[in-house]
Amino acid sequence: MSLIAFWGAVELGLVYAFVAIGVYLTFRVLDFPDLTVDGSFPLGAAVTAVLIISGVNPWLAATVAMIAGAIAGLVTALLNVRFRILNLLASILTMIALFSVNLRVMGKPNVALINADTMLSPFFGLGLRDFYVRPLFVGLLVLFAVVLVWRFLESDAGLSMRATGANARMARAQGVDTNRQIYLGIAISNALVALGGALFAQTNGFADVTSGVGTIVVGLAAVIIGETLFGARGILIALIGCVLGSILYRIAIQLALSSDILGLKASDLNFVTALLVTVALILPRLRRGGAAS
Amino acid sequence: MISVSDIKVVFGKGTPLQKQALNGVSLTIEEGQFVTVIGSNGAGKSTLLGVLAGDVIATEGQVRIGTADVTRQGTAARAGRVARVFQDPLTGSCGSLSIEENLALAARRGERRGLSASLGPRRRAHFRERIAELNLGLESRMRDRMDLLSGGQRQAVSLVMATLAGSDVLLLDEHTAALDPGMAEFIMTLTQKIVSERKLTTLMVTHSMRQALDYGHRTVMLHAGEIVLDVAGDSRKDLQVEDLIAMFRKMRGQTLDDDALLIG
Repeated sequence: MSLIAFWGAVELGLVYAFVAIGVYLTFRVLDFPDLTVDGSFPLGAAVTAVLIISGVNPWLAATVAMIAGAIAGLVTALLNVRFRILNLLASILTMIALFSVNLRVMGKPNVALINADTMLSPFFGLGLRDFYVRPLFVGLLVLFAVVLVWRFLESDAGLSMRATGANARMARAQGVDTNRQIYLGIAISNALVALGGALFAQTNGFADVTSGVGTIVVGLAAVIIGETLFGARGILIALIGCVLGSILYRIAIQLALSSDILGLKASDLNFVTALLVTVALILPRLRRGGAAS
Repeated sequence: MISVSDIKVVFGKGTPLQKQALNGVSLTIEEGQFVTVIGSNGAGKSTLLGVLAGDVIATEGQVRIGTADVTRQGTAARAGRVARVFQDPLTGSCGSLSIEENLALAARRGERRGLSASLGPRRRAHFRERIAELNLGLESRMRDRMDLLSGGQRQAVSLVMATLAGSDVLLLDEHTAALDPGMAEFIMTLTQKIVSERKLTTLMVTHSMRQALDYGHRTVMLHAGEIVLDVAGDSRKDLQVEDLIAMFRKMRGQTLDDDALLIG
C-alpha cells in the first residue's frame, strides 16, 4: 500500500468516525438499532454540496447538513415513539424515503464539487501536502466531537440518556422522560452522521446518492472493532475505540483490496465489508470461551 | 399525605378479557405513616401501587400525593414526589451503569438534568458516605458496574437511591420477595431504619403476612380489587398471622362458592 493510499484510508476512516460515534449513540447508548444513517449520510453530503455550489459558506453548509440529519433522525424517532412502529422498521422507512429526498435535493444522482471552495481550501498550500492536510483537518474535528459527546454522556443529561437505553422503566421512575431522550439521542446521532456525509463530500469533491449504501454496516464495524480491541472501559475509551475502529477498518479494507495475492477488485468491497464485520462479530464470542451458542 | 379516592381501574375495557383490577378503593395515608398492604394474587396490590407510581392511570377516581392532584400524571412527571424500590433488583437500577452513576441518576430524581458533570468530587464523597452506612463494603466498589452486585446488594443500593432525593411517598413493591431469607431480613431491617430515621410516608406491598404485621403502623388487605381489612393501633397489635390466614381462607372460599354458583 502506498503512502498516499494509507493516508487516504486514514482520512476516510476519520470521516466515517462521525458515523461510528453516531451509531454508538443509537445502538449502544440508546439500544435503538437505527438504520436511518444510510439515508442521513448522503443527505449530509447532498445538502452540503448543493449549498456550496450555490455560494454558501462551506462551514454554514455543513451546519445546515447537520440540522437536516437531525430532522431525519427526529422523523425516525417520531415513527417509533409516537406511532409505535418497531424501531428497526421506523428507521428503514425513513432511510428509504431519504433516497428520494436526496435526489430531490441534488436534482440529479451526482453533484461534483471540483473547483468549489470547501472547509479545507484555506489549509491547502500552507506547506503541508494535501493528503496530510485532509486527515489532519478531519481528525481535529473528530477530536472535538469525541470530547463533546464524552462530556455530554458523563453529564446529568447524558446519564439520563444512558439510563433510557439501559433500563427505561427505571429511568422513568427517576423522572426521566424516556421518549424525549430517544428523540434527542437519535437527532444527535444523525446530525453527526450527516456531518460525516458533509465532510465526505468536501474531502472527496462530490456527493452521490448511492454513497449511503452500507453506511450502517461500516459504522457498526467500527464500533465493534473498537469494542473488541479496547473492551468496555468507560465512555471515553469506547468513543476512542469507535474512531480507531473506523480507521483500522479502512486500512484493513485498503490492504485487502491492494494485495495482489488476493486478487480482489474494487467491486468486491461490499463482500469484504460483510466478511470483516462478521469476523468482528464472531471473534469476541469465540474469545469469551467455547462455541457460539 | 397521600390519598386515593374511589379508584377504579379496568384493564382491557370492552374486550372479552376485561378485568376490574380495582373496584372503588379509597385510602388516606397520613404524613409519616408506614402502611403495609397484603392480598392474594390478583387482589389488586400491584395495581394500587401502579396507580400511586403513575404506571397505571386510574379509569375513575382521584389520586393526590402531597398537595398535588397527580391522577393524570405519568410516572416520569410525578417521579419527584414518588420514591420507589422494585420487586426485581434488576428493575430498580441500571446494570450497565456503575454504582455511583446509578446514585447520581437517583440524586436528581424529578429534577431538571443539566450539562454539568454528573459525578463531581463532592457528590462522589457524599455517595460513598451513604453507601458506607450499609456496611456491605460497597464503598470501595463505587465504580463497579451494578450488575456485578448480588440481588440483595442491589436492593440495598436501591433503598439508598430512593432516599437521595426528597419524596412525598416511598413505595416498596415486595422488595424482599426475590431475596434469600437472610438477605430479606437485612433489607427489612435497613428499610425500617431508613423509614423511621427519615419519617417517610411509606406504602409497602408484601407477600409475607409476618412482615405485614411486624412492620409499619397500619395494615391493609385487598381482595378482588377492594379493601377488605384496614387495621391500625391496638386492634392491629392483637392480630396474629393465623387470623390473617383464616381471613384469606374465608375469602378464597367465597370465590369458590361464587364459581360453584356460576357453574351450577
